[in-house]
Amino acid sequence: MAIYQDFLTVKNIYFSYTVNQEILSDINFSLPKSQLLGIIGPNGSGKTTLLNIISGILKPDKGKVFLQNQNLNHLSIEKIAKLISVVPQNTWVTFNFKAKEVVFMGRMPYISRIKGESLKDYEISREAMIKTHSLSLSENNIQEISGGERQRIFLAKSLAQTPQLLLLDEFTSHLDLTYKYEMLNLLKNTLKKENLTIISTFHDLNLASIISDRLLLLDNGKIEKIGTPKEVLNEKNLYKTYKVKPILINHPRFNVPQVIM
Amino acid sequence: MNKSLIQLTSLINWKRKLFLILLIGSLAVLGIGIACLNFGTVSINPKDIITLLINGSQDKTKSLIIWQLRAPRIVLGILTGAALSTVGGAFQGILRNPLADPYILGVSAGAALGACTGIAFQYMTGYLLSSYLPLFAFIGAMLSLYLVYKSSKISYSANSTGLLLSGVAINFLFSALITVLLALSRRELHSMVFWLMGDLSSANWKKISIITLPVIIGSLILFFSSLDLNALSLGEEEALHLGINTSKLRIRIFVIGSIIIATVVSFTGLIGFVGLIIPHIARLLVGPDHRIMLPVAAFLGGAFLILCDVLARTLMSPTEIPIGAITAIIGAPLFIYLLRRKN
Repeated sequence: MAIYQDFLTVKNIYFSYTVNQEILSDINFSLPKSQLLGIIGPNGSGKTTLLNIISGILKPDKGKVFLQNQNLNHLSIEKIAKLISVVPQNTWVTFNFKAKEVVFMGRMPYISRIKGESLKDYEISREAMIKTHSLSLSENNIQEISGGERQRIFLAKSLAQTPQLLLLDEFTSHLDLTYKYEMLNLLKNTLKKENLTIISTFHDLNLASIISDRLLLLDNGKIEKIGTPKEVLNEKNLYKTYKVKPILINHPRFNVPQVIM
Repeated sequence: MNKSLIQLTSLINWKRKLFLILLIGSLAVLGIGIACLNFGTVSINPKDIITLLINGSQDKTKSLIIWQLRAPRIVLGILTGAALSTVGGAFQGILRNPLADPYILGVSAGAALGACTGIAFQYMTGYLLSSYLPLFAFIGAMLSLYLVYKSSKISYSANSTGLLLSGVAINFLFSALITVLLALSRRELHSMVFWLMGDLSSANWKKISIITLPVIIGSLILFFSSLDLNALSLGEEEALHLGINTSKLRIRIFVIGSIIIATVVSFTGLIGFVGLIIPHIARLLVGPDHRIMLPVAAFLGGAFLILCDVLARTLMSPTEIPIGAITAIIGAPLFIYLLRRKN
């Protein structure tokens, strides 16, 4: 068996929901530990599908995902849940739990069904809420807070899961400017210090460019380009995938490309 | 420990909360049960009932009425109400659908078809089968369970929509067959309709001894799935990400819940509404955490059903009103009132 040096190796992934319509084809990339990879691409290019394959809930038709040299296909979902956590796009909760109860659910992979949570689980959950600036929401009902607040609670839940790899599906979409900054700070600094590896899909190319160490540009289920934001966000690549000719400027503070119409 | 940690750990005391609920709940249900012994066609002095319960009585008739007629009916009512409410709550959890009730996945229609077939058979052949009716109902229920399970597996790999749709389809199919039986029947029509509306009047200790164990063991299994049910309300994919095998969970709850319901309704008929509304009332009172909500629903359901039964047998005494009608007449306004107050 091949040994993969990198933290995450995605090898030759093919996926389709129906025959003759490949959603993903020939996806190959690897990711070292504590990097943040941004997945970008037009609507329907396969971003969320790729995320679902990496998280192990979709099985690829062909190809393998290795996390710390373990084939995800050979791990049970209980084991995967201790390694990977996901902040989904849809954060609706069927019943009106308190926000803190949702965060505690992040401890599910570690909790005995008979004994319930321990003090340690509460401490970890509380830390996660402090990091995501959501402690003040803890007593609120989850159905009665805003979409952005729910996303912060879901991020806290995912951090309480103490994963090695954190997957975010268009996490920043509901956040206002204040929290975009705070989350940017959290993702770029705090979580990196903890050696957390992050993969996030982005709608917003400019935010993706600022936050990510590397970008993966998907087009029609294929990798168009993977590299640093400077390598990926150029006129040629954007024209090929998005079919528009935007203007590219350099961000004065972060020194990364920004795309304007 | 600082203040916010204390605040957070308020939930760690769910065990204490649960203990309190078990204590208060069982005392309350016991109290209500004893109070309900008072009501019936023959009036017995409450003082007599107490002395009779504690010391026994020389009065054979009163003793018979209390021990062989009223007490079993109350115990059966408590078990039935508790079972319907617990399973209703758990089904709402696995289907992530607040409109779900214990009957939505087909088990009731199966039991009803079984029972009606039994009744039709009885009139056709002249054999007196009434003591075997529960067996007919149970076989019907198991048949529907099998069909729903199989069809949901084939069509949708047993996700919640698949399970729900299969349940609804089997419900329609079996209900149609029941309608045919009803249309063809003459003398037996009344027995069939009465069975379909549900009643507790035929309660006896033997029936109770049969259903107690499945109800208690089944409910415990549901209870120990509470954390998984909690996580499932974040969504199917989220639950998978939290390491929960959602299809196994759903099948487990579906099968266990259906067996509980099949056992109960085989003896009581289809008492409606309790299993839909009591879980909601429990959620309004104590929140959606299934570890707390399910036991509360069980107690509320038991108490609610025996109170409804008292009304059913006293309001127009000696004629009994079907208890299923009472549960809806009392339950619907009560529920709307609670909803309004909450908002």
